[in-house]
Amino acid sequence: MMGVDAYIWSNLMTVLLIAGAVYAARVVRAQRLWREAAGELWRRRRFAIVVVGIYLGIGVADSIAWVGGVPEDAVGVLPNAPLSLIDRLFLDTREASYSAPLASVEFYGGKALRHPGSHLLGTDILGRDVLYMVFKGARVALLIGGLTSLIAIPLALLFGVSAGYFGGRIDDAVFFIISTLAAIPGLLLLIALIMVMGRGTVSVCIALAVTGWVGFCRLSRAETLKLRELDYIQAARALGVSEARIILRHILPNLAHLIVITFVLTFSGLVLSEATLSWLGIGVDGSWGQMIDGARDELSRSPIVWWNIGAAGAALFGLILAVNAVGDAIRDVLDPRTLRGSE
Amino acid sequence: MGAYVLRRLAYGVGVVLGVLFLLFVLFFAVTEPEDIARKALGDKAPPEAVAIWLENHGYDRPLWPWQNFQENLLFDHYRKMLTFDFGLSDADDSPIVDRIKAGAGPSLSLTVPLLVLSLLAAIPLSLLVAFFRETYIDRMGVFLCVLAMSVSTLLYIIGGQYIIGKLLRWYPISGFDADPLLLPRFLALPILVGILSGIGGDVRFYRTVFLEESGRDFVRTARAKGASEPRIMTRHVLRNALIPILTRVVLAIPFLFMGSLLLEAFFGIPGLGSMTFDAIQANDFATLRTMVYVGALLFIFGQVATDISYGFVDPRVRVE
Amino acid sequence: MIEKRRGRFVLSRLALVLGLLCSACSNDPYPSASSGEKILYSSFTEAPRTLDPATAYTTVSHSVTGAVYDTLLKYHFLKRPLELMPGLAGALPAVEDLGEGRSRYRFVLREGLLFANDDCFELGEPGARTREVVMGDVAFQLMRLADPKVGSPVLEPFSNIDGFQEFGAALAERRESDEAFAARPVHEQYAEIGGIRGIATPTPYTLEITLHRPYPQIKYWFAMEFSTPVPWEAVAYYDGQDGRPRFDDHPVGAGPFYLAEYDKHARYVLEKNPNWYGVRNPEWRAPAAVFPSPADEDDVASGRAEYAGRSLPLIDRVIVVREKESIPRFNKFLQGYYDASGIIKESFDSVVIEGGLSDEMREMGMRLGKSVSPDVFYIGFNFDDAVLGRDGGDRSRKLRQAMSLALDVPEFLRIFNNGRGVVAQSPLPPGIYGYEPDYANPNRRVDVARAKELMVEAGYPDGVDPDTGEALKLGFDTANTSTAGLNQVRFFTNAWRELGIDVEIRPTNYNQFQEKLRRGDYQIFQFGWVADYPDPENFFFLLWSKMGKSAAGGPNATNFMDDRFDELFVSMKARENGPERIAEIREMLSILERERPWIELFHREDYSLYQGWVKNVKPMGLSIPTYQYRDLDPAERAALRAAWNEPVLWPAYSLVFLAVLVVLPGIRTYLKERQ
Repeated sequence: MMGVDAYIWSNLMTVLLIAGAVYAARVVRAQRLWREAAGELWRRRRFAIVVVGIYLGIGVADSIAWVGGVPEDAVGVLPNAPLSLIDRLFLDTREASYSAPLASVEFYGGKALRHPGSHLLGTDILGRDVLYMVFKGARVALLIGGLTSLIAIPLALLFGVSAGYFGGRIDDAVFFIISTLAAIPGLLLLIALIMVMGRGTVSVCIALAVTGWVGFCRLSRAETLKLRELDYIQAARALGVSEARIILRHILPNLAHLIVITFVLTFSGLVLSEATLSWLGIGVDGSWGQMIDGARDELSRSPIVWWNIGAAGAALFGLILAVNAVGDAIRDVLDPRTLRGSE
Repeated sequence: MGAYVLRRLAYGVGVVLGVLFLLFVLFFAVTEPEDIARKALGDKAPPEAVAIWLENHGYDRPLWPWQNFQENLLFDHYRKMLTFDFGLSDADDSPIVDRIKAGAGPSLSLTVPLLVLSLLAAIPLSLLVAFFRETYIDRMGVFLCVLAMSVSTLLYIIGGQYIIGKLLRWYPISGFDADPLLLPRFLALPILVGILSGIGGDVRFYRTVFLEESGRDFVRTARAKGASEPRIMTRHVLRNALIPILTRVVLAIPFLFMGSLLLEAFFGIPGLGSMTFDAIQANDFATLRTMVYVGALLFIFGQVATDISYGFVDPRVRVE
Repeated sequence: MIEKRRGRFVLSRLALVLGLLCSACSNDPYPSASSGEKILYSSFTEAPRTLDPATAYTTVSHSVTGAVYDTLLKYHFLKRPLELMPGLAGALPAVEDLGEGRSRYRFVLREGLLFANDDCFELGEPGARTREVVMGDVAFQLMRLADPKVGSPVLEPFSNIDGFQEFGAALAERRESDEAFAARPVHEQYAEIGGIRGIATPTPYTLEITLHRPYPQIKYWFAMEFSTPVPWEAVAYYDGQDGRPRFDDHPVGAGPFYLAEYDKHARYVLEKNPNWYGVRNPEWRAPAAVFPSPADEDDVASGRAEYAGRSLPLIDRVIVVREKESIPRFNKFLQGYYDASGIIKESFDSVVIEGGLSDEMREMGMRLGKSVSPDVFYIGFNFDDAVLGRDGGDRSRKLRQAMSLALDVPEFLRIFNNGRGVVAQSPLPPGIYGYEPDYANPNRRVDVARAKELMVEAGYPDGVDPDTGEALKLGFDTANTSTAGLNQVRFFTNAWRELGIDVEIRPTNYNQFQEKLRRGDYQIFQFGWVADYPDPENFFFLLWSKMGKSAAGGPNATNFMDDRFDELFVSMKARENGPERIAEIREMLSILERERPWIELFHREDYSLYQGWVKNVKPMGLSIPTYQYRDLDPAERAALRAAWNEPVLWPAYSLVFLAVLVVLPGIRTYLKERQ
């Protein structure tokens, strides 16, 4: 599955991400405002947060891989190949072809299965356990959402904040780039970029980032414009505090809630976009979108194969629903302006 | 006022030029024209035929002005696009302008009713949800909206064709006929699916708008004066909420011409969306870049027009 | 009060919308007026690129050009294996041996044939709507094939004609040097150059073709539209100027149908051609214009025998509609809106049970047609590659043999193709001379134990590459990037994984793949080949070194080169069928067994479904449309369509009821609260 270098990178990145998350949690605990917001969020959307946590856990378990520790005769394992925790959990579960959930014989033709009754969600056309595929898909979905945001948000902040803060020529230039990118229909730009860059997870993420950063850039520019006029920032400037320091200490922290909200709300959009790209044959390998696309033919088989599209659709739906629910709540908690109406 | 209009127009033109440059980099500088020729002519085409194809499609010249100032693809690209001379499709040599003309009708016959019916469905529903705010109907409504938004469009299409077309046999599974008597039959299912896939987001958006309006002072005043709630909703809230709703609709109008990629491709509607889909499948870069350009042009036109009309209505905008 | 008014308003609007939806409520995609005529309904997926018979080379293009253009020779509709018979020519060509490998073919055309009516004939004679077909029209088309500007994909076989390539070169040179010449209509240019040396028309009805090297297969090309008579008027007139379409969108031929309506991205209509000799001169009883006598028992059993001797065509019109996605197409077929359909694999299990039709299908009156298509699908190895190719010598040979032994094709066909298809043992499919049903290729069975032994002998025990200490890494390039397509490739890589080989799938789009082929930057790939004509030469040339991709830009993407194979190929190509040819073919196959440039996978087996009202379907394998033989019963069709498509409306009513049920209590509680 992964090259040697790739799996070490993946492990490293996972550890870094966990460390980052722990650090973020400590920051949240340290500040009263954030702590209260987090408490409020937990109170409101306990269930959705747990669901997102489960998805994250699966993603992490599939991102930590090592070599060895596998029986010699295991079917379908390459010599000295790295395997993740999830891979190991589902080692040697392959069948020849379709099996219905918990069935003991093959779905078409009725040949005996190698592992009767063990496939909770059945198997796909190549006999792969669907639960396993769904778990693998979680990592892909998180990767698409996460990697894209990791590219897009810093880019958008860099351009947006500098445009808003410095104004003048820089603002004109950034605004021009934003208008140009925003003028191109999103899906078409996405397709054009992937057609030109070639397939693959990274190029899909880059393309999604290029089309996705515009909105957030515009938002952070507008917000920075407002912030720089505030009294205390004006005061800091008058006192001769350096520009870099003002941006780092005063502007960015005030954009933090916007970053969180945008991240969560765009995340679901990104994962759904990938499903559309999969249908066009330019999606990411192993994604739920690809499972849905592959399974749409299965709906007209008879008897129909429903568990494949059902499992992938439900997994996608569950993650998006949970993220949307959490995102809604975060917005309500962190950005009370939108709440004004419902009072 | 004149200066403002001029400034706005000049900016629009600037953005068009920027879009064209981006397209040039994507479709000319990064892609090899010979590959497109090979794809169009097939493996067995002799090299002479490839050379002739490249010449006919204008790909046989250097890219940049500093390579050859008179004859280069960059200037040529700008000249052709700005004069709406879109040339021939890379895949089957048909003139792209003809296909755009032929595809606009079917696309509009799908997207216009889709937009109108979406509004007709979403506004009463969101009004209803806003009307019953803080009751089980509101909570259920919002939950259903998030639910509807979380389903991939692909699933809506596949499910719609399977249930309504195949099991219930209400409408043809796919197809198109320009005959006005037959047309509604073909459009019913894609429109239904289109409404369903968009209604979650729409209702949630309009609900927020309505709630924002119903929290305003004049609404409170009306309520204090004892006006009935339905009257408040229709007379005060709906009327004032029309501005953000209209802005959203006006911005969506230019995109009506572009059709819908997913719906048209799945339901076999020969519009601009399915033309774009074909172009993607066939690596027909000439058609694809034309469609991207036309889409961008319509968007920019819509924005400039909205901005200028705002300028007329609201003098504050002009000064900015 | 207001509540009531509002309620009434909502209700009335709801009723209006429901009324509108129900008036449109029918799933019939055609205008109802057309249900009485003899119209055949069919579908196509991809828009035809071109309808120029010199360049059209895809099934969808042939489905139009094959009906609009007629050829000198035809294939017999009922005889299998396929057999040539006279078409526009009165008889099969006479062959004369001129010595030194040269030969002359003499065709004689029927007199009194007419082209379909068309405006373009005004060019030749003012007011004319048609004119007689002469051999000059065939010669004109052959010159178009040689014309580099036309870009025909079949230059190679026709360059066996004496002077064919020289003509193209002279034409190109003259155009380059003389602009006035290049601006003249092409038929004048051809005449000025003086035509092709090896093509002569001594009388308007005779055509003599001289070959400068042996190529008996040339006769098959005269049963394809590449050599159809084309009027020069059509090429000159349809130039895309002044609102006239271009010639490749407006075919003018002498075939049984003419193209009445053509929107290449949406639909086209073929209409019976009143000028075709079968319609105009039925008294000729020309073999290709009357329904043939039965050739086998199936023809008698299926009722085709009753049609023997009837004049063609039997139907008036063919309406062909674009249908991009296979599932909607098949569902519409099941609803009776298409007359014939392939069976998509998704529905196979409900349609076909143990090789026959399911009860459900039989009740609907459907009929099943099966045929093995003359093609071969294979996995190829690039012989220029250091690990897999010729430079690796015996080590690479054993690796290729091991990989060949690991693939379980019957299992592949079972999973992905419902078991349809004939497992390939060699490049030759059934129905092609040299195919022997008992032949078993020792390196093309499934034997994982032997494959593992071979891996050890090749120096990769358990798949471990001694250079890296890890699994041997190879790359599989595929241009099929759909999810379903990738799953098929995964089946192969999973099988090789059992040998410990790590084959990485490299999905590339078509362009990138072509580019890789040109650069030689690939290791393993998958291709298919569909025969142009039923002769083994048309398969073995794919492995001929003269066709090498890297050496000559030819279709031999494996770059396989073997002196003995080449020698046998050249000799076999020129030979008539007989024991000597069989012996040569056997030796060629034994070379392929050992060298394994290909892992032959399967030959496709086509299952087609036909509605009960459609008569006379007998697939020919090659992409030859046979609309003129088809017949149907429109009354039966109309009755069955109506019966199959009654809409199911109760869910609509219950939905409305449910909505009312949900909203009503809300309104009541609300009203109570307000009071």
